[in-house]
Amino acid sequence: MPPLVQLHDVWRVYPVGDEGVCALAGVAMDIHEGEHVAIMGHSGSGKSTLLNLLGCLDRPTAGRYCLGGSDVSGMGDAQLSDIRNRRIGFVFQSFNLIPWLTLLENIEVPMFYRGLPRRQRRRRSLELADMLGLGDRAAHRPTELSGGQKQRVAIARALANDPLILLADEPTGNLDTATSGEILAVFDELNRRGHTLIVVTHESEVAAHARRVVRLRDGRIESDQVTTSRGGPA
Amino acid sequence: MIFPQRIADVVRLGLHGVVVHKVRSVLTVLGILFGVWSVIAMLAINAGLTVESQRQLRNLGSTNIIIDSVKPALTGGGTSSGNSGAKSFVLTYGLTRADVERLRDNPPGVIESAVMHWTRKNADANGKRQSVSVFGVEANYADVAGVPLAAGRFISSADLIRRRACCLITRELAADLFPCEDPLGKTVYLSDRTAAHAVTVIGVLDQLPQALSRHAGSGQRCVIIPLTTDLATFGEIMVHATQGSIDAERVQVSQCILRMADEAAVLAAAPIVRDLLERYHEGVRDCEVRVPVEEIELMKADRRRWNFMFVMIASVSLLVGGIGIMNIMLASVTERTREIGIRRALGAKRRHIVTQFLVESVTLTAIGGVLGIVIGLLVPWIVRRALGFETLTTAATLLVPFVMAVVVGLLSGLYPAMRAARLDPVEALRHE
Repeated sequence: MPPLVQLHDVWRVYPVGDEGVCALAGVAMDIHEGEHVAIMGHSGSGKSTLLNLLGCLDRPTAGRYCLGGSDVSGMGDAQLSDIRNRRIGFVFQSFNLIPWLTLLENIEVPMFYRGLPRRQRRRRSLELADMLGLGDRAAHRPTELSGGQKQRVAIARALANDPLILLADEPTGNLDTATSGEILAVFDELNRRGHTLIVVTHESEVAAHARRVVRLRDGRIESDQVTTSRGGPA
Repeated sequence: MIFPQRIADVVRLGLHGVVVHKVRSVLTVLGILFGVWSVIAMLAINAGLTVESQRQLRNLGSTNIIIDSVKPALTGGGTSSGNSGAKSFVLTYGLTRADVERLRDNPPGVIESAVMHWTRKNADANGKRQSVSVFGVEANYADVAGVPLAAGRFISSADLIRRRACCLITRELAADLFPCEDPLGKTVYLSDRTAAHAVTVIGVLDQLPQALSRHAGSGQRCVIIPLTTDLATFGEIMVHATQGSIDAERVQVSQCILRMADEAAVLAAAPIVRDLLERYHEGVRDCEVRVPVEEIELMKADRRRWNFMFVMIASVSLLVGGIGIMNIMLASVTERTREIGIRRALGAKRRHIVTQFLVESVTLTAIGGVLGIVIGLLVPWIVRRALGFETLTTAATLLVPFVMAVVVGLLSGLYPAMRAARLDPVEALRHE
C-alpha cells in the first residue's frame, strides 16, 4: 500500500531580502494510513511551514508532495481548495470557529463548500456533535462554549468530510491540563478508529501520545523515531 | 463542475452578514434608500409633468392643425419708422378668407375649418370696465376647439345668421363684472374707438379653450361673440393708440383651425399647409402653424432627454450610496479576514468568497431598493401636497431605480470581494 503522505525533497523558501529565508530545506518523509505522528521543533524550526504545506494552504518552492496518491504540489488554487475540503481536516490552536455561526453551523462549513444539501449537512453535523459529546449544545454559539468544547467542535468540523488526514496545530495550546487530557484522549480514540493524525506541537506530553515523533531543526528533519509504547494516561 | 451552494444557501450566507452587523447594515441601506427614492421621485415628477403638458396639447385637438395670424416683425416700406407727428396708417397682415378657402380645399383629409377673429375692446357692465379680448367665432368653433361651458349655451348658427347681439364670457370676466349675480341674460357693452355694441350674456366658459389661450392676454378676461356680429359691428380693423400715434391693424382671420380625419392626415397635411402659406404670403412671416401631434412627438423626444438628465442627477445619490457600500464592504473584508482564512482552509474557493461578499452587498442594496420603492410610492402624495401637481409612477419608474441600485451594489461589492478572495489563506488565518 502506498503511503498516504509522501514528501520528496521538499523546499520552501520565502522571498525575503536578496537571498530569501529558507524555512524548509529538503524534507523527505512518508506517512502511512492510520499513523499518529507528532511533529516537534522549536519556533523557527519550520514546523508551521511544514504544516501549511501538508495542509495544502501553501505550495512547496521545490520538491514534490503527494497526498493520497495524487501530486498536489503543482495544483492551482481551486484544486487545492477541493483537496483541503475533502482530504484534510484542520484543528487549530485557537479553534478558529466562526463566532456568529452556531455550533452545528460551524461543523457544517466544510460540507457547505462540498455542496451537500442542507438536510444531509444537518444530519451529519448532529451525528458528529453527538459523537463528541456536544449533543446538548447544538444551538450554542462559540462564545458560549468552554475551551474544551470549542476544540471538540473544531474536531467535529475537521471530521465532517471524512478527510484522509487530520492536521492539528498545537491543539492543546490554549487549554488547561485537564481539558488537554480530554482532547488528547479524543485524538487517541480517533486514531484507534483508523484516522491518520498529524499533530504539530512543542509539548512533549502531546507528542507522547503519538507513535512516531518527527523532530525538525532549521528546516531539516533532525530525527524520526517510532515510539512503541503509548505514554501518558489514555 | 460542482457548484456546491444552491442559491438559497448563498443568499442565506450573504443575509447572515447583513443581520450580524445590524447598525452598519441599516446605515448602508439608508444611503441606497435615499438614492433609489430620489430617482423614483425624479422619474415620477417628470412623467407627471409630461402627462400634464401632453394633456394640454391634446386639448388643442390631436386631429387639428391650428394656424394663427401673427404680427410680422416690421420691415421695409410703410412702417412707422421716422414718423414725426401724429400719423396713422393701417397695417394689414395675417390670414385672409381666401387663405382659409385654399387651406380647406387643398390638403386631403380636411373635415372642416373653424375661423376666429380677435380684437381688444373694453367691456362695461354694472359700471365696471375691463379691457378684454373679443373672439368672433362661428358656430362650429366649439366642436373643433373644444369649449367647455360652465353655464348657458354656445353660439348657434341662428345667432350667426341673424347677427344676434349675444356673447359668452369667461369665468374670470364674470367674476369681475358680475361678482354677486348670475351673469346669464345680463348685458355687456363692448366698445372700441370706432363703435360700441350691447351684447347679452348667453353662456359662461368653464375654461378658455387651449387654442385661444395665446390671444387671451393675462387675466383671461375674454368675450366670445358671433363672427358675423363682430364684423358687422366693429369691422376688421383694430385701432389702438400709443403715445401720440394711432395705429390700426387689419386682420381678416386671426385663427383658422383645420379639423382633419385622423392623426395620420394631420401629419400629411402639415407640410402642405406650411407650403401654401409660404407661397401665398410671399415669404412674409405673418402666420404660424401649430400641429399638436407634431408637438407631442417632439415632447416625447424631449421627455427622454429630461428623463436622462433627471436620472443622472438622482444617480449621484445612488453613486454616493454605492461608495458607502464599497467602504463598508472593504471594512468588512478587513474585519473578517480571519473568517475568510478559516473558510479558505476548510475548502472555500475564491469564487465562494467573492460570491459571499457580492451577495452581501447586493442584499444590502436590494433591501435599500425595496424600501426606496416603498417610500417612492409616497412621492405622488408628497408632491401633490407640496407642489400641487400630479405625478406618475409606473412599474418602470419603480423598477428602473431598483435595478440601478442592485447594479450599484454589484459594482461596489466587486472590488472588496475580489480583495477578500485574493487574500493568502495562511496570512488570513494568522490575522488577529
